[in-house]
Amino acid sequence: MNILLVGNPNVGKSVIFNALTGSYVTVSNYPGTTVEVSKGVARFGSTSFNVIDTPGVNSLTPHSEDEKVTRDIISRGDIACIVHVVDSKNLKRSLPLALELMALKIPVVLNLNMADEAAERGIHINVKKLSERLGLEIVETVATTKEGIHKLKEAILKARLPGSDALNNLVKKEALSIDKILSLRQRGRLAYKLLEGAMSISKPLEKSISEKISRLTTRPITGLPILLVVLVVLYLFVGKFAAGTLVDLLEHGVFGKYVNPFFINMVSRLTPVPVIRELLVGQYGVITMAMTYSIAIIFPIVTAFFIFFGILEDSGYLPRLSVLSDRLFKTMGLNGRAILPMVLGLGCGTMATLTARILDTKKERILVSLLLTLAIPCSAQLGVIMGMLGGSSIKALLIWVGIILSVMIIVGLFASKIVPGSRTPFIQEIPPIRLPQMTNILIKTAARLKWYLKEAMPLFVLGTFILFISDRIGLLRTFEHFLRPLIVNGLALPEKATESFIVGFLRRDYGAAGLYMLARAGQLDKIQMLVSLVVITLFVPCIAQLFVTIKERGFKIGCAIGSFVFVFAFLVGYILNFALRQLAERGIAIL
Amino acid sequence: MEKTQKIEEALSIIWEEREKKLYNKTGIKDKIFERLNEDVLEELLKDGYVTIDKDIVKFTKEGEAIAKDITRRQRLAERLLTDVLELDRGAIDSPACEFEHILSKEVEESICTLLGHPKECPHGLAIPPGGCCVKARAQIESIVVPLTKILPGEVAKIVYVLTREHPQLHKLMSLGLVPGANVSVHQTSPSFVIQVEETQVALEKDIAKEIYVKRLK
Repeated sequence: MNILLVGNPNVGKSVIFNALTGSYVTVSNYPGTTVEVSKGVARFGSTSFNVIDTPGVNSLTPHSEDEKVTRDIISRGDIACIVHVVDSKNLKRSLPLALELMALKIPVVLNLNMADEAAERGIHINVKKLSERLGLEIVETVATTKEGIHKLKEAILKARLPGSDALNNLVKKEALSIDKILSLRQRGRLAYKLLEGAMSISKPLEKSISEKISRLTTRPITGLPILLVVLVVLYLFVGKFAAGTLVDLLEHGVFGKYVNPFFINMVSRLTPVPVIRELLVGQYGVITMAMTYSIAIIFPIVTAFFIFFGILEDSGYLPRLSVLSDRLFKTMGLNGRAILPMVLGLGCGTMATLTARILDTKKERILVSLLLTLAIPCSAQLGVIMGMLGGSSIKALLIWVGIILSVMIIVGLFASKIVPGSRTPFIQEIPPIRLPQMTNILIKTAARLKWYLKEAMPLFVLGTFILFISDRIGLLRTFEHFLRPLIVNGLALPEKATESFIVGFLRRDYGAAGLYMLARAGQLDKIQMLVSLVVITLFVPCIAQLFVTIKERGFKIGCAIGSFVFVFAFLVGYILNFALRQLAERGIAIL
Repeated sequence: MEKTQKIEEALSIIWEEREKKLYNKTGIKDKIFERLNEDVLEELLKDGYVTIDKDIVKFTKEGEAIAKDITRRQRLAERLLTDVLELDRGAIDSPACEFEHILSKEVEESICTLLGHPKECPHGLAIPPGGCCVKARAQIESIVVPLTKILPGEVAKIVYVLTREHPQLHKLMSLGLVPGANVSVHQTSPSFVIQVEETQVALEKDIAKEIYVKRLK
């Protein structure tokens, strides 16, 4: 039997899920974190149930993809109990959904989550009274601290079909029928009546500190400087500290002095066969290249990024950016809500492509998938780029940002004219600013790192293996020769950079890491560095993201996006290189 | 039904047909008969409210003025019943029908002002503007205004939401932006940020324009 967690967006269903099952799914402070249904097992004494976490919905009438998904799960049946998770401070507007769920003839438990926040705002809910009126179990919880979870489990076991005489009488008095499908307005009025005398607000709403901070972040005059500070901190933490100091320490210190010499030594002693030696510790060796790249260079960078990103997610800052950016996105045929998948794309483009589901129309989703593929570097790649350009000159970093942003806006502008369909106007719920809990950040970062190691490491090894084989059988030379007109003549990059573009197909960050090593070896001048980074940023997404794009947007659109991006990236690189060289010849050195 | 009422009613039917770009005599005749159980078209012709030329029905100046007036009052009445008295759509059709014939010009104008000179009836048909609407546009601010007229820091009560797109209306309602709810405006630029009870919502201007509110403070 299944237990279903249902509720409005951003009420904490996933935190409840984690608390019930003891597993971990990502939780954040913005609506739409859960895009895929997660399942887990919860033990209640001797019995165990499957717990299903669903994307947030506002009603069971499917207006959005999420609402369709949730309704389908409910209609599949085999449900022991629906736990309707509600944000206690917004009980009034969640009750219409509760009434809808109650009409399904399935046992329902009403879970008033975030009870602490409601209390802070002086909202008092008479649980006993409301429970009698609705005829169902009601439990107050603070899921983040696991308060009330035990009671919730008890209530689930006791769950019964909802309904009471009081409710029936009220329904009759309003000349309605609970079994009939009520309009949203009718349900709203019923909810209002049901709460009369069961909910009270004891103190006037006054502005709290979090409210004051919230206002500062959405007003352009203070919001833009705050955004700038956030970006600078990101740069210092990820670009300088992680990609600089930590990588230095790991790569030169730990790997350069101990790990690699140790393995080289050991392998040479154990195997006399040169091929195996080469495979493990050679130029394209699994240990000397794949491990060094993924553990010494990328791992510290993504760790730092995930920590920083987790703090941003949990604070509730991200949806506030949509207020500032709506007008910008309007020019690209989108609305401010598109900032969420875009910013998430800085974490991982693959995940972000899934998040595009929160947008309402097909056109918007196609546009966002295109921009994610083209212009948004993922965390690992971004970290490497920041480390590389930050190390040489801030100016180069700013030019890189400028080029990528302009490419994004220009392509978005044209694409919005070409892709048929419509844009939806901007309506976005803004969750309260919350102080992120360090434990949640650490758990979330650990979960993401685990995922990173599982996803990325095999691809790093595979990529290295492909390079190794290609090098052995001379294919690499052929490739380099074949791409020579493009890489060497077109972009004026060293032949060796071809490798980076080849492995860049597998992982964006792997490609960037290759360029990073080239730059360190002094094989790239400033112009080459900038050109190669612009191309590798715009250039094809990693293989996982490409597959997800094809899966989400369809084969034709996915491939169209992929091929456009491929050609366009080299075109921009070519023009950039040409422009910079021309300027340099005339004695104008921008970098 | 009195004769004047009948004539008014028939003229408003012709007005409705004209909105749908239908001018054909037989079509109009049938429509009038369907609603009034009587054939009034000949009478209208005789009294000089309409002309009929090659089966095309046209208003005379006098007829048009009456039709416009009665349509306006009918649709204003509908707005009043749905937005202020919160009757359901189904319930409004017949009371509104009676209502329009007894409204004086004065009452009509004050209803119009109260509602903020609405442009459409609840069914989405245009309300012909009256003298008060023209005046209002020039000078006075009415009591019911679009949310865009509310300044940051002010509180207002939602009177009605005028959006044609169902999914958007649905989204607004599920966020608690329903008639009767109090909203406080936090900021108006670059996007609107408003608060309804404990929910903060960001909107763009185009949506805020369609939310009509009554100023409270």
